[in-house]
Amino acid sequence: MKTIIVIREKDYRWVRHVFPDIHPLLLPICNKPYIEFLIDFSVLSGSREIRLASDGPLGEVEAYCENGSRWGVQTSYASIQGTDDLEVVLEKNRHFCSDGRSLVINGMVFINYDQKQEYKTVFASLPAGELLSCSGGSLMLTGVPENSGSISRSCPFSISSIDSVSLYYNLSIDILNDASTPYVLPGYNNEELCHIGRNVIIGKSAEIRKPVVIGDNVQIQGGAVVGPGAVIGSNVIIDRESSVIRSVVLAHTYIGEQLEVEDKIAAGNMLIEPESGASLAIEDPHLLTGIKKSGATVPFLRYLLHTLVALTIVVFQLIPFLLLFPVLKLQGKWKQRMQECFADMSGKTLKLSETAIETGGPISTIAAFLSLDRFFLLFRVLAGQLAVIGSRPVPATSENRDLLNRMPGYRAGVFSYAEAEDWPVEADDMAIVERFYAAQGKPLRDITLTMKALFNRIHDKSLP
Amino acid sequence: MNFRIDTTADPNVGVVTLSGRIDAGNSNELQNSFMSWVLETSLFVFDCTNLDFIDSSGLGAIVSCLRKALERKGDLKLAGLGSKVAMVFELTKAKKLFSIFPDAGSAVRSFENSEP
Repeated sequence: MKTIIVIREKDYRWVRHVFPDIHPLLLPICNKPYIEFLIDFSVLSGSREIRLASDGPLGEVEAYCENGSRWGVQTSYASIQGTDDLEVVLEKNRHFCSDGRSLVINGMVFINYDQKQEYKTVFASLPAGELLSCSGGSLMLTGVPENSGSISRSCPFSISSIDSVSLYYNLSIDILNDASTPYVLPGYNNEELCHIGRNVIIGKSAEIRKPVVIGDNVQIQGGAVVGPGAVIGSNVIIDRESSVIRSVVLAHTYIGEQLEVEDKIAAGNMLIEPESGASLAIEDPHLLTGIKKSGATVPFLRYLLHTLVALTIVVFQLIPFLLLFPVLKLQGKWKQRMQECFADMSGKTLKLSETAIETGGPISTIAAFLSLDRFFLLFRVLAGQLAVIGSRPVPATSENRDLLNRMPGYRAGVFSYAEAEDWPVEADDMAIVERFYAAQGKPLRDITLTMKALFNRIHDKSLP
Repeated sequence: MNFRIDTTADPNVGVVTLSGRIDAGNSNELQNSFMSWVLETSLFVFDCTNLDFIDSSGLGAIVSCLRKALERKGDLKLAGLGSKVAMVFELTKAKKLFSIFPDAGSAVRSFENSEP
């Protein structure tokens, strides 16, 4: 038995329109890529070889499925013309199909099967020809039945189309709500209606209400409510006091503070109303935004850029510092104290000098305008101990260790992200800004933000 | 964008037509205009029929206008929210703060009905 999956651009045009960054075959249904449902069913049907035939690019799918060994099958990939009908496709793949029976899955259809069932014998006795069809495609068999004596005509499974965002949403929610789900869903599951992935951080006061499926590397901040009926993809942050109910949040999405996502699909900065199909690109990154997938080179690139920026500032500050520092020191206006602070999320601590320049006089004003109070800290960036821009260093106390757990991506910086923004007026606002940028982590943007922080400090009325 | 108030439908109710975008670029302007309008009346309808986009600062400005109206024992009602703007109000829970009407006319009439 072999399976050939035939999928054309026209079958999944809506996916390209709604989720342009996701290959339709990798579209997650309850966090499980669509192709995996098809592979699972093919395996249950007794297939040992699966061929994917499409008129569109299959590179991403090939990278994901590789040779199929993960499922104990052999996968191969074939190109077809968009105009090829099923007969032509089978003819083009006759070598693949000629040997025994072949199951043909045609179009973007979802097969409602039961993982606990065994379909090998069913397929052996089903006649050749079309088994099932729906508006989105069909299921057919080729070749002669193995048990020709007892031909069965009934299929113990059904198919349905996935040809709109509304059908996609309903399918995800239906699978999620099914206590006796017939599918294997990703994640740890030791109770009904709850699947949780790896490295999921759930804030103390956050609430998880079943049914839920949560992917890997998810942060759910304090006071947030997830579920009932929530599918949370991998690498998602749900910020403080937000709720996600009867909604699908696709991977790499940041949901801002105190938001209510109900009966929606959130994908990056796109908010979609499944029933009407209306979609809205949120332009405000503090509300809803995509999280960039960071590669292994990002930490090194960040270190390199931060070092360069710190070095540049040191060069600019050096002469004013050499001239002004002794004067301020003699005047007693240069106040310095050492403080033990957390360096990053791991809880590693650092002794940092906190400098305050006392107000009064033109020398203090110039020193403050030039941010000379940060001069010594810049050398910590060169030593790789601090970021040039990050979070305000949090004093290393046992109470603050809990606080650190609520600050994903915390890295102590010479300048803080909050100083780069004009609007934070309260400590809570600053925390939002710092959490947002810490989670977004773009090394190149850090340069701009450092410049903004320097500029804002010049205009800071609270400075001397 | 120049924000204008219209009191022709009802002299006690100021109808403000919002169109295009309300974002960080013009939300302060809206708040400043509102400061002068609240000296004349405390009942407002923001007609959002032609409003295409609103961001968090625009939303903050509208909520601040509502607060100022309430402080003067008045109210601010919204009318004609398009689906995209409505989604932002829903997402940020701001929808719960406002009375929302399908059009400006019905919002103005609702003030008449609520008058003692």
